[in-house]
Amino acid sequence: MFFKIIDKESIVDLYAGLAAEYDEVTGPKTSPKDPRYVKFGKIRDASQLRLDYKTSIVPPKKYFLAADERLMRYDRTTGEVYDTEPPLQTRALIGVHPCDINAILMLDDIFLNEFEDPYYKVYRENTFIVGVSCMPSPTCTCNSFGADEVHRGFDLFLSDLGDRWFVSVRSVKAAAIVDRYLDAREVTADDTRAFQERTKRFKKALPKRMDLDQLPLLYDAKYDYPLWEDIGKDCLSCGACSVVCPCCYCFDVRDTLSADGRVGKRHRVWDSCLASEFAEVAHNHNFRPKAADRVRYRFYHKFVGNFTRNGKMLCVGCGRCTTACKAFIDPQRIVKALESEDTPASAGTRKGGGAQ
Amino acid sequence: MTDANALNQASCPRVVVLSLASDFGCQIQITNFPELLAMVGTIDLSYWQLATSADMPDSYDVAVIEGAVTLDEHVRLLQQVRKTAGVVIAIGACAVTGGVPGLVGTGDLDTARDLVYGEDATIVKQHRLVPAPVSSVIEVDYRVPGCPIDPAEFSALLQQALLGARERLDRTPLCAACQTIENPCFWLRGKACLGLVTRTGCGALCLSRDRACTGCRGIAADANLESARRYLREGGFDVKAFDKALEVYNTYEVNEVARS
Ligand code: SF4
Ligand code: SF4
Ligand code: SF4
Ligand code: SF4
Repeated sequence: MFFKIIDKESIVDLYAGLAAEYDEVTGPKTSPKDPRYVKFGKIRDASQLRLDYKTSIVPPKKYFLAADERLMRYDRTTGEVYDTEPPLQTRALIGVHPCDINAILMLDDIFLNEFEDPYYKVYRENTFIVGVSCMPSPTCTCNSFGADEVHRGFDLFLSDLGDRWFVSVRSVKAAAIVDRYLDAREVTADDTRAFQERTKRFKKALPKRMDLDQLPLLYDAKYDYPLWEDIGKDCLSCGACSVVCPCCYCFDVRDTLSADGRVGKRHRVWDSCLASEFAEVAHNHNFRPKAADRVRYRFYHKFVGNFTRNGKMLCVGCGRCTTACKAFIDPQRIVKALESEDTPASAGTRKGGGAQ
Repeated sequence: MTDANALNQASCPRVVVLSLASDFGCQIQITNFPELLAMVGTIDLSYWQLATSADMPDSYDVAVIEGAVTLDEHVRLLQQVRKTAGVVIAIGACAVTGGVPGLVGTGDLDTARDLVYGEDATIVKQHRLVPAPVSSVIEVDYRVPGCPIDPAEFSALLQQALLGARERLDRTPLCAACQTIENPCFWLRGKACLGLVTRTGCGALCLSRDRACTGCRGIAADANLESARRYLREGGFDVKAFDKALEVYNTYEVNEVARS
């Protein structure tokens, strides 16, 4: 990694360079429905970029794990299968916050590890990622999860120093972009000092809201405690939390036929473990029939299941679920409930939760 | 129950489309769907109340029913249909939840009748029932909710029925679909939306046009009304207005819950 400094206005040159090199440039832009909200979308002009945004409704995971991805088409009369490849399109993704880059690294671990997902892989390999620094909002808890900093998983990272950007150049591709399109200068001691001050300001603005020490252990120990019923009875079973979560990746695979039933497509769509259909199997048996079972499961997967597998919790503290959930259920509430004095209703035997 | 085998064997299942109390909107929706023509080869549209003046045939395989049950004559008709058809499909809010006609159930039937028909009320005095969904009278195999229905959803469901697939009606509320299309939540913007308790499956159609959900697909099976009201209370919203808005498509169910 090496570092450069560019002017604030140079974002126009960066955009132009990426637009020349990539089929599509996407980034945070104002929601057409309400200017107070931001969503990632196609950028047609650098002025559309809102690099000082707080958060987006849906995280950039949508560019790697599409909400609705076609897996193949088929002809039922001939048995022919076609269109099995994802579209080969290159993309530059500008303006990803550290929490969301950390979340992409989590997804890499899921989709590029033991079982490689060919769709995710194609999108990931063909996307150039430009990270951008941020200032914390009241819903942010990234520092509790160590997701406030990021050192890989991007090509270029822009830290806001007021009138200039402190640019971290991480990849060969990024070095070529800087070389070809940007009027960049060397970093001075002044710039480095400004960078350090920025980091300090960020830390000051974000008190640590959660203490996760021993959380996985506590979770297992209190697995059958009444706290789950308490929290679970509030859940609306809406699944909004999974949609907006950058670390949630579950999907359902569906077949959709044409009106005459001759041809069809198989596609995968986002799913949520908070939906009662999620754990339903043959003969209508449901492994998690109650909302309380499902809420407990969701966070068990995040805080225990994944943690015991690779030492990482499936949460980067982005705060999106805190905003989206109308039942006031989020990581902070779960952690608080687990830390509280609570006693088991009965010394029952453990029902299997199941790490993933 | 669905007689899937019988359907598979019938090379061209005979389908009838009939209406109870409704404005025929869902049937019109079907005609708006050009792809339906593609289906006509795979089905035999024996009878279509809206498009024919002929009598309904004595035997058929699939009955598609639109409209709410509002007369005792409807009850008899439905019982006959259930005996005849292998598969019964209810389409539209009226048939699935009682829909807008169901609003009559918010008050007293006689008062409503007098209000609407005035002096002529005696003509319709007998035989009137509190509007109810088809499933309150006979077993329904498949449902296509919505006001009006989405023709694509209807044709997809008809396909599933012909293949003998199990009904797959969503049970969860709309918010996941609404957030997937990145609609800034209405409640966060200080406006009411019924999506948080309404059955998903429309792809958050109204939300995609920046309109709040009015609940036309019915209350979701997994809806948590108590918790939704609590959210409203804590946010300083009008819970009574929310309940009132819910009645537009869901009076029958709201009354059922109150009775149970
Ligand atoms: S659980 Fe909530 S805070 Fe954590 S990453 Fe997911 S949406 Fe963000
Ligand atoms: S936890 Fe909240 S956002 Fe998630 S399904 Fe339950 S009510 Fe919806
Ligand atoms: S309440 Fe309405 S606007 Fe809000 S998330 Fe749910 S469907 Fe969308
Ligand atoms: S958003 Fe609500 S009112 Fe609109 S079509 Fe869907 S269920 Fe019906």
